Amino acid sequence: MRVGRAVSDAQEAELDLARQLRRVGERHAAEPDLYHLGHTLARRCGEHVERLAPFARRYGVRAREGRTESPHLLEALRRRSGELVGHSELAGLLLLRDLRDLSLTAHEAEIAWVILAQVAQAVRDPELLQVATECQEDARTRGKWLRTRIKQAAPQVLVAG
Amino acid sequence: MVDRVADIWGARTPHGVDEPWPVRVDQYLAEGVPEHEVRWVPSACVLCSNGCGMDIAVHSGRIVGVRGRAGDRVNHGRLGPKGLFGWQANNAPDRLTEPLVRQGGTLQPATWDEAMGLVVERSRQVLTERGPLAMGFYNSGQLFLEDYYTLSVVVRAGIGTPHLDGNTRLCTATADFALKESFGTDGDPGSLRDFDLCDTLFVVGHNIAETQTVLWARILDRLRGPDRPRLVVVDPRRTAVAREADVHLPIRNGTNLALLNGIQHELIAHDRVDREFVAAHTVGYERLARTVADYPPERVAKICGVPADDIRAAAEILGAADRLVSTCLQGVYQSHQATASACQINNINLLRGMIGEPGRTVFQMNGQPTAQNTRETGADGDLTALRNWQNPDHVAELARIWNVHPLQIPTWAPPTHVMQIFRHAEEGSVRFLWIVGTNPAVSLPDLRRIRSILAQERLFVVVSDAFLTETALLADVVLPAAMWGEKTGTFTNHDRTVHLSEKAVDPPGQARADMDIFLDYARRMELTDKDGAPLPKWRTPEECFEEFKRVTVGRPCDYSGLSYEKLRGSGGIQWPCDENTPDGTERLYADHRFNTDTDYCEDYGHDLLTGAAYERQDHAALHPEGRAILKAAHYLPAHEPPSEEYPFLYTTGRTVYHWHTRTKTRRAPQLDAAAPDMWVELAPADAERLGVREGDVVRVESARGRIEARARVTGVREGVVFAPFHYGYWDTPDGVSGDGWHRAANELTITDWDPVSKQPLVKVAAVRVEKIADAGGVPSPAPTTAASRPVGEDLPPTEGGAGVRETVEGASAPVEAVRETVEEGS
Repeated sequence: MRVGRAVSDAQEAELDLARQLRRVGERHAAEPDLYHLGHTLARRCGEHVERLAPFARRYGVRAREGRTESPHLLEALRRRSGELVGHSELAGLLLLRDLRDLSLTAHEAEIAWVILAQVAQAVRDPELLQVATECQEDARTRGKWLRTRIKQAAPQVLVAG
Repeated sequence: MVDRVADIWGARTPHGVDEPWPVRVDQYLAEGVPEHEVRWVPSACVLCSNGCGMDIAVHSGRIVGVRGRAGDRVNHGRLGPKGLFGWQANNAPDRLTEPLVRQGGTLQPATWDEAMGLVVERSRQVLTERGPLAMGFYNSGQLFLEDYYTLSVVVRAGIGTPHLDGNTRLCTATADFALKESFGTDGDPGSLRDFDLCDTLFVVGHNIAETQTVLWARILDRLRGPDRPRLVVVDPRRTAVAREADVHLPIRNGTNLALLNGIQHELIAHDRVDREFVAAHTVGYERLARTVADYPPERVAKICGVPADDIRAAAEILGAADRLVSTCLQGVYQSHQATASACQINNINLLRGMIGEPGRTVFQMNGQPTAQNTRETGADGDLTALRNWQNPDHVAELARIWNVHPLQIPTWAPPTHVMQIFRHAEEGSVRFLWIVGTNPAVSLPDLRRIRSILAQERLFVVVSDAFLTETALLADVVLPAAMWGEKTGTFTNHDRTVHLSEKAVDPPGQARADMDIFLDYARRMELTDKDGAPLPKWRTPEECFEEFKRVTVGRPCDYSGLSYEKLRGSGGIQWPCDENTPDGTERLYADHRFNTDTDYCEDYGHDLLTGAAYERQDHAALHPEGRAILKAAHYLPAHEPPSEEYPFLYTTGRTVYHWHTRTKTRRAPQLDAAAPDMWVELAPADAERLGVREGDVVRVESARGRIEARARVTGVREGVVFAPFHYGYWDTPDGVSGDGWHRAANELTITDWDPVSKQPLVKVAAVRVEKIADAGGVPSPAPTTAASRPVGEDLPPTEGGAGVRETVEGASAPVEAVRETVEEGS
């Protein structure tokens, strides 16, 4: 049985996404929704990871910590440069690229939850199933948010930019 | 004669729940005007969302006064201080009377042909080089329906850009979205008469006493009557409303959602839920119950900073109500988690099964007089006549009526909100921005940023306004607009009451009605429908209204049974009004069937945390089918909490005597004198700690800027600093450029918005405060009335609104006999 593997994969995928959400938020600090929501969602990823801790123990893999805050100085620096880049006409292209990458990482995380929910059913672990199902719903919402944001940004960047 | 600056709400006419609200006609005429020579022109007031029926007094071709319309359903004759005195702005000597064009760095007079020629030339250039997505339009909540609808057709069908928004985004976008999320479409379900009929009032972040003075007079008449309704108030300030409360919850700003979840927790825990109603007429109860289970009073007390027992007491009153009216405004809409919180207020009435019946409703209140029309016509982020931009059938129907190709109407993404339009201008993809009757250089958050965007060389800015505002001074072309009273049109208030406002006088100089300006633009741009006919095709306001009626048929805001003829001289008629409801409709959802059918709804809903737009299949999967949707969300801390560096919570707001950025009220002498300059409010304990006394000059600083003003020590919550958002720069002694930008409240606010309604957040930011000078015997310019009333200081009272006549219909005693002083309720 490799149930632990599915738990680790979900942990890793959420941590990856959290880091990327913060990085993109800071890099595009001139887009306030990305900055604030990026950080809110990154915290949320951390909560998902923490929810998996008991299952990591249960299935014999390392429980990861949910905290993924950037070092303060680095964050401030990225944010400042994000504000500066925000005034350039290239900001849009960079934004669209980052959103696209972000949505791929988010998709990976969503699939990790799908897999975990399947595994939880197969091993008849209702507690894990509940966590996986709830986190999967969060992951779906995240994906919708990114899709909404990309739909809005793409024409502006590629047609008027 | 009465001083209505000193006595804001006028004489009391108390009544019980079984009696109608008595008529009291308020009238103010300029001194020396012979009353018998006055011609009265029917209209309604445009200085708040109540939209009181009002006659305009005309003498020798000028507006000389106003009086309330006795037979009007909204106000039964009453007017508030802004309505009584605000009309004087129409006669101000500094009205814009000719177009201005920027030449060599300054604005120079020009002809309409020159100015419009330039606007059209630049539009064409931008359209050719970059297409419609480089064009932006930002309008107001104070035009008429006909102005908005014309603009909506010009921009959406003609130019074809999604970048059209109204300043209603700052004011009632959240009301609009909360109504759509819970009930399927926009439109407040209730009637103002529900305030006469309720037994319990729940008022959240809504300083009715100052924002809608006539509505507050209406409520006071119940509070002083024989069967006083119980009152629960949520507000970090000790407003005149809070002083009347049975329970006042002065919560930390930014924590509305936690409190409202806590109240629902109590309603459910004590079985104050109308189970039958919830089962039959709502969806989402399980999820809501699961969410609010995490909010017991003790936890909420810690988050919100109010005693757990007070939360229980509030919930007990709401739980015991039989006829509950709930209402909210900017304290919810402009604060953290705005839409999520506003939806919980809907939930409370739904859990209690109190909606659609006399005395039972929820008001997602409006702020501006004609905000409802910006939303209905689609001149903001909505699609015309409460249509759903994600529903191809709705778009096709609109395209058919407008006779354009459906793809011409930009609906690939939600219509762009103003903060995003400004963001596009900042990064350079919007190159043309037309600002109509609003003043973002004072009213948007983070003003240094806004000024830098508007001042960019690469952005062409057109401003149409009645005055040379701070924003107009940054424009490339300024177009002089007619004001209320100088044009004919209709508008709709927060209980869906439609009024016709007739032209009373000519606009000054070459000023023109906004509708005429847009039509002129459309003709010069040669905008046409798909058969080459002019777009829009109307010429007069009445023709425009008739066309708008056509586009509303079958939609919730059905105007098809209305006409200018029918509205003329009426006491106001509420939509929907069609052939089956020729007298209008007092309450929506009287049958408890909501507008949530997937094919009919205006919006498929959003995730309240991220703002992710749900799509058709998500909505359909909920199976709402006419049931209301109970939306749930968890509280999250605000994005900018107080810190060591910035230890205070900052909030902005209003005073009763001013409207927005004072372009009108600064020009009404009585209103100006009542609140002549900027101030900030501190709580007594904070003032003591900082060594600040009444009138001392303080500096308030955030990460974005600083302001300096005289302090007033008031009943605001400890740790909170309040600043009125009305004051800008055009009337400062050193003029607009002055010695820096240290007066406007929005110098300090944060660039951030609600993820769902996209309403900017101007009620939560972190600041520090220091004293920089002694009062020197000069008090703060803050009014002594209402919420800015001083604590522990004896100051000369605010007055100076003499000469108002109040006539109570059928009063046996003179009005003075029932008059109360401003100390009432204290």
